[in-house]
Amino acid sequence: MVKAKKEKPSYIAWLSSMRFALNLLIGIGVITALGTLVPQGQDPIFYLDHYGEMLGQIIVALSMHKFYQAWWFQLLIGILCFTLLICAYQRLRKAATIKSAGSLLFHLAIAVILVGAAWSLGYAHSAAVEISVGDKISLSPHGFKDGELTLASFNIDYYPDFQPRQYTSDLSLTHYDGRDYQQLVYVNNPLRAGNLKIYQSSWGWIMNLKDVSQAVPQTIKIKNHGKYQLDDTKMVVLGAVFLPDYAEDNKRVFSRTPLPNNPHIGLTLYQAGRLIDAAIIAPGQEAELGAYRFVFEGFTYYSGLQLKYDPGVNLVFLGFGLLLLGLMARYWQLIFPGKGG
Amino acid sequence: MESQLLTLSFILLVLVVATNLARLWHPHIFLSKISSLLLYLALLSLVSTLGFRIMGANRVPFANMYEFTIIFVCMVLLVALFIRTSHPSPLFDLAVALLLTVLLSVASSLPSELRPLMPALQSNWLHAHVATAVIAYACFALAFCLGFLYLLQANLPAADLMSIDEKIYKLVVLGFTLLTLVIITGAIWAEEVWGNWWSWDPKETWSLITWTVYAAYLHARRTREWKGRKSAWLVVTGFIVVLFTLFGVSILLPGLHSYV
Ligand code: HEM
Repeated sequence: MVKAKKEKPSYIAWLSSMRFALNLLIGIGVITALGTLVPQGQDPIFYLDHYGEMLGQIIVALSMHKFYQAWWFQLLIGILCFTLLICAYQRLRKAATIKSAGSLLFHLAIAVILVGAAWSLGYAHSAAVEISVGDKISLSPHGFKDGELTLASFNIDYYPDFQPRQYTSDLSLTHYDGRDYQQLVYVNNPLRAGNLKIYQSSWGWIMNLKDVSQAVPQTIKIKNHGKYQLDDTKMVVLGAVFLPDYAEDNKRVFSRTPLPNNPHIGLTLYQAGRLIDAAIIAPGQEAELGAYRFVFEGFTYYSGLQLKYDPGVNLVFLGFGLLLLGLMARYWQLIFPGKGG
Repeated sequence: MESQLLTLSFILLVLVVATNLARLWHPHIFLSKISSLLLYLALLSLVSTLGFRIMGANRVPFANMYEFTIIFVCMVLLVALFIRTSHPSPLFDLAVALLLTVLLSVASSLPSELRPLMPALQSNWLHAHVATAVIAYACFALAFCLGFLYLLQANLPAADLMSIDEKIYKLVVLGFTLLTLVIITGAIWAEEVWGNWWSWDPKETWSLITWTVYAAYLHARRTREWKGRKSAWLVVTGFIVVLFTLFGVSILLPGLHSYV
């Protein structure tokens, strides 16, 4: 530990004392723990309902529902970072042995990670997109640099009991920063394009219908369990459910498996929230619902992708590396006495 | 077979408890040998339990809390057997066996059906993350047992507190280094799978809290007024936090890590 020299301002000595570090660590631990007691990220109403008027208002006023984003929490982390840097600066001259250099590196690495995290907080950007098989979307409307994303195919791999094993999107990203990328993206294997990463995050079925009751037949794209507004003024809404492996018994209709072995669509027509008609049809067939007639033209998957641009994450990972390096240098001899060091 | 072996392990550990209670009352070399034998048998039985699990599932047994708890118990026992060689004490055997019977009871109450790995868990980072966690937590478990002994014996004139303290320190150093790896591998994996290396999920947050407790211990040991008894309290607290991170969070604070 650094002994306070007489000529140093006393608050610096205090900040850089081992006792302060200890209290800071315990304090951060306790405060961080408090944050997990309050459910995070709900609407303010939620807290007033669940915690009563008074406690609810305190929680919202102190941003305890956004605990780790609250200014006072970030200030605490800021103090930690500042302290680490002061300590590191003071110990710089004393880092003469591998052990002390390791300890120094370890403490500095924590600061590096925090700086990387702050960078991400300021400059990272993410968005969720959904893209149907065969479709192409532009990235710029979602707040990223120009580029086009195309989904060539999407596939779900199942275990024998039809639990999902893997979801895979065959993606290409073109004209992004002057480069083209093509990759199978699946869970645990995102596409990387510089600081942009594209993740497999969800999926679903999307169906094509043709409304042939109109003078000019109209194509309708509707997601499984989705709704489509047919007539605003009369409040007519179409609902659709996809039954990939349609079957029925005397009680209900259902899907035997998640595979499209016997695809059908279940259509429901609502007016002002009331069910007025329903039908189940196969591809190519036509259904009459109320005053409408629909042809089920086809179906495909859509893939839900998470896009994230994050310039800070590399610094964080560098910090991780330094942290481990520092720990190894500090403790190698202790853990493996007699070897190395 | 797996559940019978688990029951057998439990019985063996209860016998260790009984043997060491007898040993406290009437120390005898014979009883100490029995205690050793029972502990080795319990390890054998637990490792066989895991073996059956691995054969049944045809994958690493890293998929849920039940599997994790059994590996954890094995690892605690393994490290305990190692520490015993230089710290033969009925109190130590007793503390370890008591802890393990509690952990095994918890394991037997957890859902244990075999399930295939969901997509999020199919990653090599899973192996690194869980393997380091098992060893880190085993170190903390034994630091806890020794911390407990330290506090029990703190007033006894003949107790070799220095050597207990030294062992606790080494265990915490190893555990802390591995816990750092657990958090780092977890963060890198989260970045791969969820697109966020840190999201203040309760499990993540509590592992960070655990990390600060042991960092506090490492600082406390070098702070004059925290040496000795106070820092022993920190390792005892630390392991309670570990247990909360492991079991409490999964039960009380649902989040992204819902693989119970
Ligand atoms: C997240 C915060 C921190 C962590 C995880 C941490 C961790 C550690 C660890 C593991 C050690 C080694 C202990 C030993 O050798 O027995 C250590 C030592 C030390 N820490 Fe920290 N520390 C933190 C913050 C700080 C801060 C803010 C300061 C500055 C006041 C500080 C000052 C020291 C000093 C002076 C030593 C002794 C030097 C040495 O052992 O090499 N630490 N710290």
